[in-house]
Amino acid sequence: MGSAPVKSSRPGSPVWDRPLIPLKILVAGGFGVGKTTFVGPLSEIPPLSTEQVMTALSVDVDDVAAVPDKTTTTVTMDFGRIAVDDQIILYLFGAPGQDRFWFMWDELAHGAVGAVVLVDLRRLDDCFAAIDYFEDRRIPFAVAVNQFPGSPAHQDGAVRAALSLPPDCPLTWMDARQARSSLDTLVALVAHALERSSGAGQAPEDPAAPR
Amino acid sequence: MTAASGPGGFCAAHRYGWGEGDRVVPVYAFTQGRTRPSGHELPYEALVTATERAVEHLPTLQPERRAIVRMSVQPISVVEIGANLTLPAGVARVLVSDLADAGLLVVHLPQPTTTGGGPREEILGRLLDGLRSR
Repeated sequence: MGSAPVKSSRPGSPVWDRPLIPLKILVAGGFGVGKTTFVGPLSEIPPLSTEQVMTALSVDVDDVAAVPDKTTTTVTMDFGRIAVDDQIILYLFGAPGQDRFWFMWDELAHGAVGAVVLVDLRRLDDCFAAIDYFEDRRIPFAVAVNQFPGSPAHQDGAVRAALSLPPDCPLTWMDARQARSSLDTLVALVAHALERSSGAGQAPEDPAAPR
Repeated sequence: MTAASGPGGFCAAHRYGWGEGDRVVPVYAFTQGRTRPSGHELPYEALVTATERAVEHLPTLQPERRAIVRMSVQPISVVEIGANLTLPAGVARVLVSDLADAGLLVVHLPQPTTTGGGPREEILGRLLDGLRSR
């Protein structure tokens, strides 16, 4: 993480004389797929987690039945931070994985650069929900296969077919414990988002087009 | 559990003159029960920086507000403030909003997005360059 932290041009002054630009990328995927592991090595601050109080309305029915008196619960969300240049600070948010926390995704996804969907090939089904979510909302996403020891070996084509990925969706093979490999995934995602953004003016994609 | 200990056991709050023991009221009492502003007005990633006025007023502020001003001498986001103070992000959001209304914090919001909802092309280009150069 060699880049210089954001600094005031007037040392010692508490007043920031330059507008700052916050950006965010979501890291999604099934429970235990490596979202926290992905965020950690990339972040220049020790990865933090925040909690969000959730009311009973948002809680899965089964949980309420199991704990009848419980009206609120908390969701924790991991996040990390990368100072990109002297104005831009990128936040990585590990989106809560379970279906019942998706109400949080809408806020997280609003204005996001895009999302990384982490995939464990041994549990492919876990990532479909995330892929559907980002596709439905036309949020750029990249699929990153987090390779665990003993992960089955597959070719790109087989994974793309199994996940019904759009042809332009980046697919990377990586190890979430390695910052370099996670960074490569972020680069692939941002390049994809940029491509879509610059192409959007001339040739908007037809949402109804077969993929 | 100590204040703000995340998965890595990180504890930052005491650096800002804030400890778990300082809190003797439920967290929502800080905000008089308000949960506004909403996420679209002040998203998690919104950055804040302290103003000179905030530093002058530091001794007069309540402990949690003082801690926020101290940590905002460097750019910091709403979500980091919440994590550092072990407050839910929604509570941090209200406190930040109050401090901004009082002229003690400057809020740096995400810039207007494209019709698709994402950041503008120029910003994405800078992000890509920045990530590639790491």
